[in-house]
Amino acid sequence: MITAEQKPIDEIREMIGPFKRILVLGCASCVAECAAGGEKETAMLGSALRMAAKMEKKEVVIEEKTLDRQCVNEFIVLLDDTIDQYDAVLSLGCGAGVQAVADMFPETPVIPALNTEFLGETKAQGLWMENCLGCGDCMLYYFGGVCPLARCSKQLFNGPCGGSVDGRCEINPEMDCAWQLIIDRLSRFNALDRLEDIYPPKDWSRKQGSGPRKIVREDQQR
Amino acid sequence: MYREQQITLGLFYCQNVPESREENRQALEEEFGKSLRLFPIPCSGRLEPVHLLKALERFADAAFIITCPVGACRYFEGNHRAKKRVERTRKILSDIGMEPERVGIAIGSKEAPKTLAQQAREIFREISLLGPSPVFGQE
Ligand code: SF4
Ligand code: SF4
Repeated sequence: MITAEQKPIDEIREMIGPFKRILVLGCASCVAECAAGGEKETAMLGSALRMAAKMEKKEVVIEEKTLDRQCVNEFIVLLDDTIDQYDAVLSLGCGAGVQAVADMFPETPVIPALNTEFLGETKAQGLWMENCLGCGDCMLYYFGGVCPLARCSKQLFNGPCGGSVDGRCEINPEMDCAWQLIIDRLSRFNALDRLEDIYPPKDWSRKQGSGPRKIVREDQQR
Repeated sequence: MYREQQITLGLFYCQNVPESREENRQALEEEFGKSLRLFPIPCSGRLEPVHLLKALERFADAAFIITCPVGACRYFEGNHRAKKRVERTRKILSDIGMEPERVGIAIGSKEAPKTLAQQAREIFREISLLGPSPVFGQE
């Protein structure tokens, strides 16, 4: 999923400063899972912003709503009837959600309330870890299901670097050495021979070689 | 005795706190009148920052939670969680320029258990110095 964290309240307040009627818009998908922009967090932010405004005796209307997904038009259209009531949307969607809402309602400023961070996994309650860079050419098969691009501090394809201690990365001892994990997993499946090959440097053209990427699936289209 | 005061307390409490049955709640609300609004919850771990925030936004000058003693939570870690959520709420309050002490937690003691009424009085004493919340303005 996509992970995110809420921006500092000061920054948010500065951005919404000029507006008088604000819709605080949550998203019940990825950013809810990482406790940044779901219904609960949207209610908290709305409440905090209303109190802040009252303390400054500012006359503003701040209301909340949470869409099931903020990056899918079928859900964004649900705002059709109400969007005109607001002069700005404060979005707790990821960067894709913010832009999708802005695309649908070009007349309305859409302000991000979150910093979108990475593609990752919920490791434990309250702990999210980056584990994929979305490179466009997945090599997890060769590396036993552990991504050296996302999880090795040096992004080595032909590791390990030799610096790990007790299975910990030498750059950041709080992290597991990705290459220790790769070797452990490949050994478990008797597949260490996959590491006999020398892997050439990553071909990044599949990620950012020709500008923004898109996926076209005719079978999914109308 | 607190009826004359202008402070309103939103008080959440775990239903396992001593003498916190329905009749105790009613008696307390009668005694304190509008100054006290009580919210029983099955475990303090159910408390979310949004509950405290909404109380402060809508009616309360302070919002507190009373939990069972450390190690005595029926669901093991409810009170531990409640503590973290109160801390989180306090951070939000200071971010918007409100005194963080307007939310708080009273953790019960195994050695010297206190009833809901005793705890409520102690919390009132604690918050009386804070005065009315800036959210409602001083007309
Ligand atoms: S190789 Fe790594 S970055 Fe690329 S798609 Fe696979 S997991 Fe993601
Ligand atoms: S210690 Fe392991 S994870 Fe860290 S840089 Fe070296 S090979 Fe990569």
